[in-house]
Amino acid sequence: MQDYEIKICHLYPDILNLYGDRGNIIAMQRRLEWRGIRATVTDINVHQTFCWQDYDLFFIGGGQDFEQEILMQDIHSGKGEAIREAVEAGKVFLAICGGYQLLGNYYETWDGKRMDFIGAVDLYTKGAKDRMIGNYLFQMEDGTKVVAFENHSGRTYLGQGVKPLGTVLYGGGNNGQDGTEGARYKNVFGTYGHGSLLPKNPALCDQILSLAVEAKYPGKKLLPLNDTLEQEANQYMVDRLSK
Amino acid sequence: MGLRTTLSVLACKTSCALLRKLKKGGTTTPGKIALKVYPEVLRDLAKGVNVTVVTGTNGKTTTSRMIDEAMEEAGLHYFANRSGANLLSGIVTIFCQNAWLSGKCRERHALIECDEAAFRVVSKYLDAKCVVVTNVFRDQLDRYGEISHTIDLITEGIKNSPDAVVCLNADCSMTSSIAQRVPNKVIYFGVDTPIYENTKPELSDAPYCIHCKSEYKYEYVTYGHLGGFYCEKCGYRRQDTQVSAEKVLTAGADYSDIRLKLMDKSYDCRINLPGGYNIYNAVSAAAACKVMGIPDETIVRSLGKFHCGFGRMEKVDIHGTSVRMILVKNPTGCNQALSFVTNVQEPTTLVFALNDRYADSTDVSWIWDVDYAKICGMGTHLRKIYVTGIRADDMAVRLKYDGVPADQIIKEKDYDRLFEKLLAEKGNVCILPTYTAMLELRGKISKLTEIKDFWE
Repeated sequence: MQDYEIKICHLYPDILNLYGDRGNIIAMQRRLEWRGIRATVTDINVHQTFCWQDYDLFFIGGGQDFEQEILMQDIHSGKGEAIREAVEAGKVFLAICGGYQLLGNYYETWDGKRMDFIGAVDLYTKGAKDRMIGNYLFQMEDGTKVVAFENHSGRTYLGQGVKPLGTVLYGGGNNGQDGTEGARYKNVFGTYGHGSLLPKNPALCDQILSLAVEAKYPGKKLLPLNDTLEQEANQYMVDRLSK
Repeated sequence: MGLRTTLSVLACKTSCALLRKLKKGGTTTPGKIALKVYPEVLRDLAKGVNVTVVTGTNGKTTTSRMIDEAMEEAGLHYFANRSGANLLSGIVTIFCQNAWLSGKCRERHALIECDEAAFRVVSKYLDAKCVVVTNVFRDQLDRYGEISHTIDLITEGIKNSPDAVVCLNADCSMTSSIAQRVPNKVIYFGVDTPIYENTKPELSDAPYCIHCKSEYKYEYVTYGHLGGFYCEKCGYRRQDTQVSAEKVLTAGADYSDIRLKLMDKSYDCRINLPGGYNIYNAVSAAAACKVMGIPDETIVRSLGKFHCGFGRMEKVDIHGTSVRMILVKNPTGCNQALSFVTNVQEPTTLVFALNDRYADSTDVSWIWDVDYAKICGMGTHLRKIYVTGIRADDMAVRLKYDGVPADQIIKEKDYDRLFEKLLAEKGNVCILPTYTAMLELRGKISKLTEIKDFWE
């Protein structure tokens, strides 16, 4: 039997670790292991360098403003460029909230201060005074309904060539105006969804994992799992938010 | 004081009486009515009252009850908001209930537990003599946005309390940073040694220096981000304590024995409540008692006979089934509760009750920062696992992903059926509920037994 292994790179777990986003790493790891695929997770913190070719799957979570300065210095001293290369090379990324914004071109605060971000995905974010907070629901192109929790004051706008991850059915999404939520570009999945996102959205999780697995082991398919508990958790929130 | 104060107090007292007649435990509505009549009423009601405020993320209620016990033991004339209604409306209610119609307070002292965001507003009306900040942890970020924002709110509250002696947790890098931002006299409390041997590092809510943002180093960690922190770059560090647990002699399943330092003296002291975080609650309570001038012997005695209620390690017997309830609100508190639960010596059934109302945190993400895997190591000490509450489905998924086999997770959202099953099985039960789940479960339990209604 062939030995399968997926290497997950967790970017900035020391700073971007708010709101239980760790749950996404746990979900990816477990769902690979349950299929006999080894999953290793490497933390890449601030000031640590990394070689993007070493990994199959990248995760960036959300953070709070307090540590943003450290982060800004770090992305502009080489790491941002590595991330841009990895994205262009088709590596699979899941980026949540602050991490999602960070992949974009820039963030402009509500009082007009502009910070240049990584620029790996053509999108930008504008700060606002009020936050969009609460459970929300969106639908992906294939019909999958995703339930999550959003908590952001930034309004994100997608550029040309970047598709939304889904259409908002309940809640704010990218900016509360155009009905879009998240971003899809190459193999990047960007979203505002906390919750944690992946555990109760197993279809989305498997979509992300499949991309990583097939890129490394062409033809290798993910076996179906018993997702009764996950589906129940998803359905409960879909029902509640669809009322 | 004038007519508006009297009208406001009257409106509050009347609605209290009415709600009680209707068997509705009104702890906040009467205060809201009083505020409608006269928004500034609290300023009049608190005039001349010696107020102690307890705020912070975790341990407010238990710390308040410990101070409560000592104040009673010391024979002080006081009142306290024991119901846990710790927002402005609840605090106004309790002040009205303890005022004459003129608005003058009947008691000399007040012990007020106050929500850390509400404190900013409440503090404008009280001239607090003592403010205790228990700690700052990552809590309901859906309410406050960010953890550093919580510090700002508390600091603002203290700035509104110029006459207060401030008791700060020396082991919490965020809490103790408040000292540099306020002119008040400060007393530091803390735990001077590690509590558990082999403490495994948990997720830290504050890994970076609040001043210069480089990573903290630790001489020792007690739990979470608490302990002997220091910053190599800017020199910010844990301050010396005046009130502390100098030594932890035993940390058992029913109590902890410590060497308690009270300023320049120290005593052997039993804390009649298990769990490392209750050692912190005890030393923060002791610090407040010192500010009030309560004698050392009284402090030590009252910690030794203290009984907690209201879902904080509360133990009840329901027709032969022993049920312990441990309120959990955030990752750090829940990790601590699990450390306790997984060390019990008798076979135990665990119940996880997860709600997502405002008071619970509408965002249930926090359960993913808790390490539930340790319950898998309980072996034969773990009888059954139930999940209940509004978000029982999320809880079930969480446990599954930490290694609990899916077929061993029993989902029972109906509380009546849940208790039927628990009571039929006999044996020990430990419930870990979020706040509103605790209130609901307590309601069920009080129907099954005779614990006090929560508004009494």
